[in-house]
Amino acid sequence: MAQCVQSVQEFIQDSFVPMVAVLCSEDAEKVTRKNNLNFAELLRPFCRLTSEGHIRDPNNQVQPVKNLRISVNNVCTRPAPATGSLSPAQRRLLGEVVSSIQPPEGVTANIITAGDHDLSFNATTPWFEAYRESFLQSMPASDHEFLNHYLACLLVVSSSEAVPVEQFLKLSQEQHRIQHSGDYTNPRWFIPNTLKYYVLLHDTSQGDEQRADAVYEDMKQRYGSQGCYLLKINSRTSPTGADEQIPDPWSQYLHKNNLLSQVSAGEEMNLCYLMGFADEMPDSMQSHPLQLDCPPSGGLDSLGVLPPGGPTAARAAALAAAGTHGDCLTLNDHDHIRQFLQEFTFRGLLPHIEKNIRQLNDQLVSRKGLSRSLFSATKKWFGGGKAPEKSIAELKSTSGLLYPPEAPELQIRKMADLCFLVQHYELAYSCYHTAKKDFLSDQALLYAAGALEMAAVSAFLQAGAPRPYPAHYMDTAIQTYRDGCKNMVLAERCALLSAEVLKSQGKYSDAATLLIKMTSEDSDLRSALLLEQAAHCFINMRNPMVRKFAFHMILAGHRFSKAGQKRHALRCYCQAMQVYRARGWSLAEDHINFTIGRQSFTLRQPDNAVEAFRHILTNDSQQTATQQGAFLREYLYVYKSVSAESEASLPKLPLPCIHAAATRVYFGHERRLAEGEKQAATNVSLDQEYDQEQAVMWCQLEEQAVASAHRGVVPAAFQPSQCCLNSQTDNLRTPLAVVEEPIIVEVTFQNPLKVSLLLSDLSLQWSFTPRDLSSPQQGDLPSDEASGEPITNDKVGSLVQLYITLTAQSSQPLVVRGQQDLEIRGPRLNSTKEDKTSVSHGQDQRLHPLITPPMPLMEVFFLQFPTALLCGEITKAYVEFCNVSGVALRGLRVASTHPHFFTFGGVGGTSSSSSSAASTPLSPTSAEVCSAYHTLATPPGDPHHHLHPGHPPPPVYLVSSPVEGLVRGKAVAVEIPLEGGVLRPGQSAQLPLWLRGPDQEGVHEINFLFYYESAEKGGRISHRVLRHNVFICASRSLSVCATACPSSVPSADHRGRDAEDGDHLNDGMLVFVDVENVNMSEAGVREFHIIQVSSCSRQWRLHKCINPYKDKDCKLTSRERAKLCFRAARCKPLKGNHRRIACTPFLIPLLRQIVSSTTPCADFFFRCCPSDPVKKEGRAGGLSHPSSRTTGGHWTWGGGPIEAVVRTCNELDLNIIVLWKAYVVEDNKQLILEGQLHVTLQTVGKEAFSLPQKEEAQEMVLLKFKPDLPPPVIQPSVEQLSTLIKTNLHYPETYSHPFVHERLCVVPVTLTMSNCALAEVEVLIDLRHKTISPDSTEVHGTFTWLGQTQYRRRLRPQEVAPLPLRACFLHAGVYNLSTPRVFAKFTTPTRKEEEEGGVAVETSQQAASPALIIITSQA
Amino acid sequence: MAVCIAVIAKENYPLYIRSVPTQNELKFHYTVHTSLDVVEEKISAAGKAMADQRELYLGLLYPTEDYKVYGYVTNSKVKFVIVVDSSNTSLRDNEIRSMFRKLHNSFTDVMCNPFYNPGDPVQSKVFEGMVSGMMVQVS
Repeated sequence: MAQCVQSVQEFIQDSFVPMVAVLCSEDAEKVTRKNNLNFAELLRPFCRLTSEGHIRDPNNQVQPVKNLRISVNNVCTRPAPATGSLSPAQRRLLGEVVSSIQPPEGVTANIITAGDHDLSFNATTPWFEAYRESFLQSMPASDHEFLNHYLACLLVVSSSEAVPVEQFLKLSQEQHRIQHSGDYTNPRWFIPNTLKYYVLLHDTSQGDEQRADAVYEDMKQRYGSQGCYLLKINSRTSPTGADEQIPDPWSQYLHKNNLLSQVSAGEEMNLCYLMGFADEMPDSMQSHPLQLDCPPSGGLDSLGVLPPGGPTAARAAALAAAGTHGDCLTLNDHDHIRQFLQEFTFRGLLPHIEKNIRQLNDQLVSRKGLSRSLFSATKKWFGGGKAPEKSIAELKSTSGLLYPPEAPELQIRKMADLCFLVQHYELAYSCYHTAKKDFLSDQALLYAAGALEMAAVSAFLQAGAPRPYPAHYMDTAIQTYRDGCKNMVLAERCALLSAEVLKSQGKYSDAATLLIKMTSEDSDLRSALLLEQAAHCFINMRNPMVRKFAFHMILAGHRFSKAGQKRHALRCYCQAMQVYRARGWSLAEDHINFTIGRQSFTLRQPDNAVEAFRHILTNDSQQTATQQGAFLREYLYVYKSVSAESEASLPKLPLPCIHAAATRVYFGHERRLAEGEKQAATNVSLDQEYDQEQAVMWCQLEEQAVASAHRGVVPAAFQPSQCCLNSQTDNLRTPLAVVEEPIIVEVTFQNPLKVSLLLSDLSLQWSFTPRDLSSPQQGDLPSDEASGEPITNDKVGSLVQLYITLTAQSSQPLVVRGQQDLEIRGPRLNSTKEDKTSVSHGQDQRLHPLITPPMPLMEVFFLQFPTALLCGEITKAYVEFCNVSGVALRGLRVASTHPHFFTFGGVGGTSSSSSSAASTPLSPTSAEVCSAYHTLATPPGDPHHHLHPGHPPPPVYLVSSPVEGLVRGKAVAVEIPLEGGVLRPGQSAQLPLWLRGPDQEGVHEINFLFYYESAEKGGRISHRVLRHNVFICASRSLSVCATACPSSVPSADHRGRDAEDGDHLNDGMLVFVDVENVNMSEAGVREFHIIQVSSCSRQWRLHKCINPYKDKDCKLTSRERAKLCFRAARCKPLKGNHRRIACTPFLIPLLRQIVSSTTPCADFFFRCCPSDPVKKEGRAGGLSHPSSRTTGGHWTWGGGPIEAVVRTCNELDLNIIVLWKAYVVEDNKQLILEGQLHVTLQTVGKEAFSLPQKEEAQEMVLLKFKPDLPPPVIQPSVEQLSTLIKTNLHYPETYSHPFVHERLCVVPVTLTMSNCALAEVEVLIDLRHKTISPDSTEVHGTFTWLGQTQYRRRLRPQEVAPLPLRACFLHAGVYNLSTPRVFAKFTTPTRKEEEEGGVAVETSQQAASPALIIITSQA
Repeated sequence: MAVCIAVIAKENYPLYIRSVPTQNELKFHYTVHTSLDVVEEKISAAGKAMADQRELYLGLLYPTEDYKVYGYVTNSKVKFVIVVDSSNTSLRDNEIRSMFRKLHNSFTDVMCNPFYNPGDPVQSKVFEGMVSGMMVQVS
């Protein structure tokens, strides 16, 4: 129960006061009317007596009467309403009273912290107190109690009356008639001989004062000085001046009474007309404005909207119309009135009461039984005994018992009431107690309940009494009233009293239970108020019960809303909300929010309503779909009415949720996928998901392109260009958008509801701030609206803010329009300590682009771009660059993840199709005929040369410098050749693009990044890029495996030239090329033809083909393998990095020779093995430098020269290019595909493959924590040393000898030694047979060498030296001549040998293959 | 059998609420929420000294016109509330007690699940099944 202004004692005392009736003559009424008051109203402010009165009880004890208040009322003769319930008018009145008092605004509410709840609520509930006061005042008088029966009657007559005394008589008779005639049941009178007090009212401003005094004297004689009074009022003649401040004590009373009177007036009027008592009716009532203006309260339950100010405003208006009160009264007059009341009370009323108490007491004492019961009762109480009480169940049986007015039981009650009124609570209690027992024994329920109630109250009021408050009396009384007598009004009064008492004793729990019990279906207002009080009880408990408080507040709010008290209902729900908010009780929370929303809306607080509804709709709700649908409908309805009110700006809609972080912004046109046959570059689009790896890759490519544009250095200010911004991109920078290019914003919406939400008319709004404020564009701004999603800027500046305007719609045709801000909060910062401890967010500039001046915009199209290729296949496509902007572009470059995949045609104009860059390509049908390779028609005389392998065609050399950038081992952007280097606006350039299938099979993703700059310098954007990515599916074609081994025969064609040098040099090398068709697809590729094998090397060239097939075509069907053998010759090394490409046409019937050195063959070759030269240089240590040869064996560098020499012998830098043709059947058409494969031969005798070997791919790089040690000098292995010298035996294959004639057969044999090394070698030839091993004891297979058994020779580098030998045979047979053992050593010792004593150790050389000779015997 | 079974976290937010006439869900939510006041009162009444040996079963929290509300508090201050129809007089205190014990065991199993994050709403199927077994079977 909330805190009250009054104390409990005051409250109870004021609830039961002596009642005084007023009968006024018409003239007297006129006198008071001057003050806009009637007589009873005139007295009301002075009804509380300030001084203390005294009364003697029957035992002659003086009893003080403190702070007494009397109630003065006009006599009203309307019948009392049926007991047990309030009349509708009274109910309405109470409703008005409650709704008129609202919690004061701005007053800081009470804050209670209970557990983890902080609640703020109003500690006082003035509306409840007002209700209680009105309720108690409107209590109808009833038969079973006398407390609100009239004790006295004031007869008021004006002194201006002709004969006042007669008038008095008339009034006196009138009073008597009302009381005793039996015509009226109301008002009720306390005692038969009511005290009549005669008041002569004198208007000092009008009447004759002496006459009044005379009349008063007359009255005094007639009625005694204690029974009459002369009241002089209206001393003021002039209306109140503005300067004079007279307090208006009436206002606070009449405030409430206005409402009260309005209701009663309505009823009185009806009654008065009926009964012809018009003169009784106060005329002020007739003209009361509220009577007509009274708002229709019948439809309170409906959703009707109250007028803005509520009843308060209406009341204030009424008050203003009524004017001020007491205009003609001075302060002296106030004193007069006060004196009069004091006089009346102390001289008239109290003695009258005293007299009656005495009289009643005498009566009762004279009655025998009574005195006994009275005494026994007191004795029992003081003895601590307890009267046995009958159970309620018994009482219920008879309830209709009525006592006659003069029944002795009622006399006790009457006396008790009198005692109670004059504050003699002890006597009152004992009387009530006695009466209670009597009533109970008579089974008079109503009477008994009344006595119980009052007994409890008077027991409570006994100051300092040791008696505990008998709460059970109250409970019994309430129960009896309610259940036994069906009198809710009395029950309610009883409950109100009891609750107040319990509250004062701190028994909040009991009070709450009591109050909750009193709630019932019959009165919503009462239930609401009592529930609210119960809620306050819960919160005021020692351990505040917050949840119960909240729950009962909700119940109270519900009842309030049913009773039409919308403001109170809203307040209750809001207070309850504090407990439920954000604690996981979502169903309850939703319910409260929904109710708050509805109530706020009906109270014209649409903002609050929208806010409350927003809570329901945004949190992830557990409501069912139908419930959500209802919420949504309601919300949209509210929202619509709100938005209808505020036309200026669209209100914000909470639905649908925008995932701001997921917003993507795309700068640029939407990509065109294809245009006819042309396939546009994929570029970036919103369809693509963001991929971190991809982004890094593109950034690297861009860096490459930028680096190549800036001569290899990436500028410090380089920033990768971002076309599409999302949550993962770097959004700290302000993005740059180009003027007149669209910006596409992708916004992610989410509907958190289970019901569908229809959105339409979405538009993106934006505001724009021009950079240059003085520019003429300023006028058009700052806010424009663009309909449709893409927005185009035609102004330079920065985009500031974006909004989304949208129309939401539920399934019902309820359409609202609203907007939502699109603001992106940056990612949470988490780097510094402050960031970690607090929650701070970074910036996100995604939606704030800077619009820059025009930039070129390029589009790239591809034509005939394949999707599947054979490994190494070369095909031709076209690429078209279009400048679609109004600005020229230059510096076009392309960077790619697979730089060896493509090359541009038309570099030197060697390709006929690329000679005119912009020419339209040939049609696809003609393209298949067109070979990728530029061929050179061989001279007509040459074909027969080809028929003889011994005569190679004139070799074609190319001295080419590989592309600068590729040599560095790093992919670098390739500049795209454009005519003049500039692409003008609107111009387009078409270039042929050669593509070569990747060497490895599988699907390859190939990314291109086209880079270009504006031809005009100084733009904000330094360059732009265009991305393209393609997928190429590569399938296996041929596998090439090549080996090389040194040849011991001097090359034939060089012999002549070398002979000029005077020496025979061994510089031949045999190259074996194994080609295998590894193509798996049996359907497609029918066969491969090897067309040509070319070589590329600094020192070597292929110059002769040893064709095992002779003139046959080299065809390879599936899984076939062909072996080709070539002879390579050393040629003069080229300076620097230059390499020579030599072509050895292989396919003889082809009359034309492919120029391998021209595009695209060479391009692809150089692009494919860009890292070789580096490796080579590092390993060879520059050995192949020309100086090494010219110095002729004089090794100047510090390392192990001999080791190097040995190594060089085993190394060769030879690249082989195999060109092939494939015959493919596709769609019943035969296609010829062409391609090339590359093999790099590095080591003599070691196999090299065209396909990268898997082992290499798995090679792991070891982590090194120490700097590398200088690599140890590699000792030439025995194996390496054993290949220094190649030996060959020359002899006739068969030799006939007449053994019959001559026993010995001597055959001349030449041993040819060739030095493979580049250093001088000392050779030791040992002809002695090896120590015969046990198993080869075969004597007859032996032969002997004649002559010297050991030879020593020195061979200069690459020298070929013959050594004539003679073999001697004894028998005919087959002999193996390869018995000579050859040892070799360098003339200069190797380092190891030096360390071991400087003696060069000879190493046994590899034996030549068996050389068989057949000796036949000649007959 | 029960018409509503609720598990409330230490911080007094619902971990699990299930009620049988689903259309009255809101009402049961309110009832359970309000009963927490009584639970708190009972816990604080038990006193701090007795906190160790405190009986977990709190008994009848309060009767309303239609329902009886029973409470149970684990040592970790997780509350179980069972609402029983008042008309159901066959239920003895012991049965309620055993229902709570079953509920507690099942909830402990839920807590033992390493994938359950304490404080999250209970979504275990086993728990759900156990609760369903204790609820009034709606035909």
